[in-house]
Amino acid sequence: MAAESKLAPIRKGLLEFLVLKIVGAKSVYVPEILRSLAGTEFTTQEGTLYPLLSKLRREDLVQYEWQESDAGPPRKYYRLTDAGRAQLAELDEYWSLLNRTIANLGH
Amino acid sequence: MQRIATTVRLNRSVLQFDDAANARLERYLAESASLLEGDPDPQEILGDLEQAVADQCTRRMRAGQSVVTLAELEPALEEIGSVQATGNGSAWPHPPRTAAPRVLQQVSEGAVISGVCLGLARYFQLDVTLLRVISVLLLLGTGGAMVLVYLGLMLLMPYAPLQSGGTPIRWLPAKCRAFMEFLRVKLGVDRPGKIAST
Repeated sequence: MAAESKLAPIRKGLLEFLVLKIVGAKSVYVPEILRSLAGTEFTTQEGTLYPLLSKLRREDLVQYEWQESDAGPPRKYYRLTDAGRAQLAELDEYWSLLNRTIANLGH
Repeated sequence: MQRIATTVRLNRSVLQFDDAANARLERYLAESASLLEGDPDPQEILGDLEQAVADQCTRRMRAGQSVVTLAELEPALEEIGSVQATGNGSAWPHPPRTAAPRVLQQVSEGAVISGVCLGLARYFQLDVTLLRVISVLLLLGTGGAMVLVYLGLMLLMPYAPLQSGGTPIRWLPAKCRAFMEFLRVKLGVDRPGKIAST
């Protein structure tokens, strides 16, 4: 598909928004985030997600806590901070605005 | 033959790797570290990746298997993928804080009559088709009084500057625009220079 090269950066830019959305719904650990995105246009990998989560944590948008698991070592469960929640709301609103703008242009 | 295994601590897990797998693991981690150069917190990410490698390999080992081989490590690394550095800038373009103020204007390009509905749709961020349907229903429901409202808005709402290269203006909107600009000069509603500016 010729449009693919234009779509890839859009998906890449949206990933951060989607991760905030997933983490915002409930406290999750990384394999759950991967499963939520698997099979969508935004299928991703741990190699992408961990650097992204580290950046979001540095920006004080997410935080994590260790939780024991039934099998294996404890897991990092991520959730949104208040600042993360505020930014998610802002991004959500901006996304709706973009959609409306796109729908209204070119009439 | 005796297989020599290396004991490796991967974050919170300790696993044994055979020589080939150990060499591959070291290469992956060195590669990840170099990809994270410039990241303010590479240790945290490398720790997370080590844990991911340990979890993925453990999941792939047969019952009773004690040493990780390439048969487990390669698909594990494949699934984890290579590190994608995020850079420091946010990937999301923030809405500009100093955006131009929203103004209520008629939009000639793409207009049906004069661009009142299109202008209102832009201003209130509504779907223009919805507004047009409502307008037609009001026109029918009010027995034509809506025509006066439309004419009033046509006279009062300034025209948006034309976007060159945009949708061409159809005949009726072009006539409306020209007529309103003429009328406004006559009535002194607006300064002519302001209306015609593009």
